[in-house]
Amino acid sequence: MFENKTIDRIEKMLDSAMEGTFTENDYDESKLSRLESKWKKYLYSSQLAKNQLDETKSNLEALIADISHQTKTPMANLKLYSELLGERINNMPGATEEDQKLLSQIREQTEKLDFLIMSLTKMSRLESNIIEVKPVRAEVDSFVKEVTDAMRFVADKKGISLRLNDSERDGEADNAVFDIKWTREALSNIIDNAIKYSSEKSTIKVSIIPYEMYVAISVQDEGKGIEETEIAKIFDRFYRSDENYDVEGVGLGLYLAREILKRENGYIKVKSDKGKGSEFIIYLWRG
Amino acid sequence: MILQAKDLKKYYGEGEAQVKALDGVSLSVERGEFVSIVGTSGSGKSTLLHMLGGLDNPTSGKVIIDDKDISELKGDALCIFRRRKIGFVFQSFNLVPSLKVYDNIVLPLELDGSPIDKEYIDSVIVSLGISGKLDAYPNKLSGGQQQRVAIARALATKPAILLADEPTGNLDSKTSQDVLGLLKTTGAKFNQTIVMITHNEEIAQMADRIIRIEDGKIFD
Repeated sequence: MFENKTIDRIEKMLDSAMEGTFTENDYDESKLSRLESKWKKYLYSSQLAKNQLDETKSNLEALIADISHQTKTPMANLKLYSELLGERINNMPGATEEDQKLLSQIREQTEKLDFLIMSLTKMSRLESNIIEVKPVRAEVDSFVKEVTDAMRFVADKKGISLRLNDSERDGEADNAVFDIKWTREALSNIIDNAIKYSSEKSTIKVSIIPYEMYVAISVQDEGKGIEETEIAKIFDRFYRSDENYDVEGVGLGLYLAREILKRENGYIKVKSDKGKGSEFIIYLWRG
Repeated sequence: MILQAKDLKKYYGEGEAQVKALDGVSLSVERGEFVSIVGTSGSGKSTLLHMLGGLDNPTSGKVIIDDKDISELKGDALCIFRRRKIGFVFQSFNLVPSLKVYDNIVLPLELDGSPIDKEYIDSVIVSLGISGKLDAYPNKLSGGQQQRVAIARALATKPAILLADEPTGNLDSKTSQDVLGLLKTTGAKFNQTIVMITHNEEIAQMADRIIRIEDGKIFD
């Protein structure tokens, strides 16, 4: 009987600790009171550890903000000076093709650096939850149309036909719970990849597939496909296939896409046939 | 490390007729990971799952779950350990037909006499999209819905690991995608460690990591 009461009291102590409301009850000579004091001490030290972690995290956030802010101006200057240098070379009588080549290398590398910093900033903001993904109920069909239309210009440049396969949908409109801005980033990354790894004159098909719990967006290309052993790795940070050393990229697009989807209760799946093409499917939660 | 198997062997029969269902399998799973074990039928994958879940004893080797060597547990202790630490999802759903959906979900908690964390259970129910079915009996639900209830039941005790044995084996491909998606996303949401057995490569791809098993051995 007495033992039961003690155990009940200890269980209550644990419950209130989990809720963060624990206070010491009585101070007396009993073992239980001594236990309460120790318990309080333990909770205090773990609270301390948590506070330190929070502080470290906020320092890190400040650092990220600094890096992204401080690199903006030099980056803009680099671009500006290379423009100016370009004009000078054009007007210089003795300028050779070699000079032009060097200049375009500088420009290319500057673009790459700019893109890398941008992706890194996005990634670390996402990871440290500085930018929150805020899923809201929104319509999928118009969202997909908007993103596809925006990407068509990139596809056209390479002579690739980017098709939105919405004939079967016949004016249907499905809702899902997602963050439009971040999901646009994810879907654009996936379409951009499809364009990068497809050959000219090929077709990329975008379609919407309704499920009971999800609305799926499929992006299907006729590119080179992915080796089965590589499929699990393509979502890793900075992963780049050895085969694609000639294609521009930093290896963050798919990683970002997966992180974004995870934060809105969705996910990404990939199916690929080496040599025939790949299909990336984004599943948005209906909520 | 939440789950570890060390040099697991399971032999049936003796001499010429001896079958090595598992022949020295070692693996480890980190907390919060979603791992799939893929192999053809007869590869030993179901035997492995039974060992990991404490449903069968290995000929030799160890299974360690949440720092506990389960071969040290016998009888009632093993049964209670399984109830608290392992959530099972089977191909055939295995819901109790005479209990309503909600009672099926909280059954493992009721059996354990542990209090029901209502907030957590509610959020599991919402994540799995079965809020509207709580008062129904299992036989009124579609296969996909029944499996979603089974997942909720497996999550109810916040087990150390959730073991899923061909969870979509009885479902059509469209429903399978729904169920696997929910398994993956609710697993991630509640930081639940999941080990899933399947023969289907495409289903296996849903996991963060794939372990391949062939002739009772892990195959890289």
